[in-house]
Amino acid sequence: MTPARLLRPAPVFPAVVLFLAACAPAVTTTTGSAGPPSIVAQATRSAAPTAAAYPMTLTDDAGRSVTLTAEPERIVSLAPSNTEIVCALDACDRLVGVTDFDDYPAEVAAIDKVVNFAQVDVEAVVAAEPDLVLAAGNELTPTSVIDQLTDLDLRVVVLYPESLDEVAADIEFIGAAIGRADAAAELVDDMRTRVADVEAAVSGLDRPRTFYEVSVFEGTIYTAGEGSFLASLIETAGGEPVTGDALSTSIEIEDLVAADPELILLGDATYDPTITPESVAERPGWGTMTAVTQGDVVVVGEDVVITRPGPRIVDGLEALVRAIHPGALGDG
Amino acid sequence: MRAGVAPRPIVRGPAVGRVALTLGGGLLVLLVALVLAIGMGSVAIAPDDVLRILAHRAFGIGSTVGIADSLETIVIDLRLPRVLGAMVVGAGLASAGTVFQATLRNPMADPYIIGTAAGASLGATIGIALPVLLPALAIGIGGTWLGLGIVQALAFGGGIGTVLLVISVARQGGQLPSVTLLLTGYAVSSLLAAGVALLMISSGRALAAIFSWLMGSLAAVAWVDLAIATPVIAVAFLGLLSRWRSLNLLALGDAPASNLGLAVGREKLRLTLLATLATSAAVAISGTIGFIGLVVPHLLRLVVGPDHRLLMPASAMAGALLLVLADLGARLSGGIPVGVVTAFVGAPFFLWLLRRARRVSLGASA
Repeated sequence: MTPARLLRPAPVFPAVVLFLAACAPAVTTTTGSAGPPSIVAQATRSAAPTAAAYPMTLTDDAGRSVTLTAEPERIVSLAPSNTEIVCALDACDRLVGVTDFDDYPAEVAAIDKVVNFAQVDVEAVVAAEPDLVLAAGNELTPTSVIDQLTDLDLRVVVLYPESLDEVAADIEFIGAAIGRADAAAELVDDMRTRVADVEAAVSGLDRPRTFYEVSVFEGTIYTAGEGSFLASLIETAGGEPVTGDALSTSIEIEDLVAADPELILLGDATYDPTITPESVAERPGWGTMTAVTQGDVVVVGEDVVITRPGPRIVDGLEALVRAIHPGALGDG
Repeated sequence: MRAGVAPRPIVRGPAVGRVALTLGGGLLVLLVALVLAIGMGSVAIAPDDVLRILAHRAFGIGSTVGIADSLETIVIDLRLPRVLGAMVVGAGLASAGTVFQATLRNPMADPYIIGTAAGASLGATIGIALPVLLPALAIGIGGTWLGLGIVQALAFGGGIGTVLLVISVARQGGQLPSVTLLLTGYAVSSLLAAGVALLMISSGRALAAIFSWLMGSLAAVAWVDLAIATPVIAVAFLGLLSRWRSLNLLALGDAPASNLGLAVGREKLRLTLLATLATSAAVAISGTIGFIGLVVPHLLRLVVGPDHRLLMPASAMAGALLLVLADLGARLSGGIPVGVVTAFVGAPFFLWLLRRARRVSLGASA
């Protein structure tokens, strides 16, 4: 057996890695973002902003330029967050392909799946005959797949929001692209109001050192990466995030003990009921942390909305506030 | 010796009828497999629609009226290059495996054994991970060079470069002793594998892409990949086939081959380089797909015998067929890496072969 062969992992391992990559979109940090997307309607630049004008040239989160010739009627979404945005803009009926990870809103269950086990089925995407494909950035939709779809003359738009503002910008972006700018503006207004309410509620409060557990796998502890969306969300929610490496989003146990979090939020308990404050206290090395000795280890059941950069991200933000500052929102 | 009289061949070749039957039958099976494999997948396409699309696009015969444009795109731009890619890669790996088993006289030899896989893996891993580690490079890496992606180019160069390094270390006075070659290949592979592991640990979001490459996949094979890999593999294959006499002699052992008049050192070098060329081109477009290059030569040696004049083309066709079937299994199972399929099928088969080898002498090493 050659050493290269030895390198190959057991078949289940990549599946786990892909799963981790797939379920933690907001956690991983990125490097090559081109800032908020921009929209330039070629034909009627000076027309009322709500009137969709095609052909429309869009610049997406990856800095790619895409021209839509008509209002998209058949949309494929390659990420649950994109699906949620389309549905929140009341265009769920235009979706002709989604991922097997999609779980919200309930009606998407009936839509054909073109992403299975985090792998894009390019043939199924082509067979769906979409006039707009909404991909995810940061390799969640692999660059090779984006290139392949683009080469097949499909209109591919890459979305990768890295802050609350960028989620709002992406919602407005999709709204403009699919002729639902009004609905997008309304949705974004509502989100901004709720974020402002959160900021007002937590301003002046103590900011506990907060460790958000994304997952613990084979001794590797995954959390919010330094400078990541999740880290900024914890900050907005009134906590001081204990962050891991920006690239791997993991933190060594020694560094975690040294950081001594005052509050541990168990996001992974959303999926695994065996992860409890008691089981955390029994982990080797964890018992000395202030959060554990003071009993401030909290199960957070809203990991899906906390780590999914879609319209429900504000629900995630509010869930974090309820965990970090119980009562601050006036709803217990 | 009188001029004009051909010297008697040392070994009598296989009967012409048997050769024609084997090769002709093989080609026919491959054609049927091509049509069936193009028809199957996540979107099923009837064989007669496949034939109509192929006939129309390739020969301008008939029309594709009534067939959805998306189906035509799937057949022409996705499945045809993918299935042809499986054939080219399978043929390249199986013929390279046949050559390495003969020249190294080692039944465990496969196309990757002297470092091609480790070198190609390191090249590809660098190509995938570097844009993540050094964001400033992201724009340059996304580009192509002569139509070939940077990852493919680095994999190809890594495979060839590694084997050249291994050969230069292992060469002793014009000779290329098999044991030294194997051990050198192992040592260099270990070093490069450590480099791959190091890059993987620090590759962050690119980790899934690296895993996928290491497991092997034909999902991304496009016409441009085929246009570059096919001529390389074809030239290497024809070069190897034309040296069937040398392969037959080397399978006897270095000393007997030398006694029979073969320039063993030079010939082994030439064969090793040609086989490496085929392997590197295959790996560049598909990643490291295991077992095809190991199992197919053993199987075909049992079926058609050890004469490389027939064994080489037969192995190439069987490798092409098996990889098409393995890739079909990968596609139908919803995206399992093809390397996993070949291992799942190949490993039990190899075990069966080992059991059988207690009765029948296994491989070139006798």
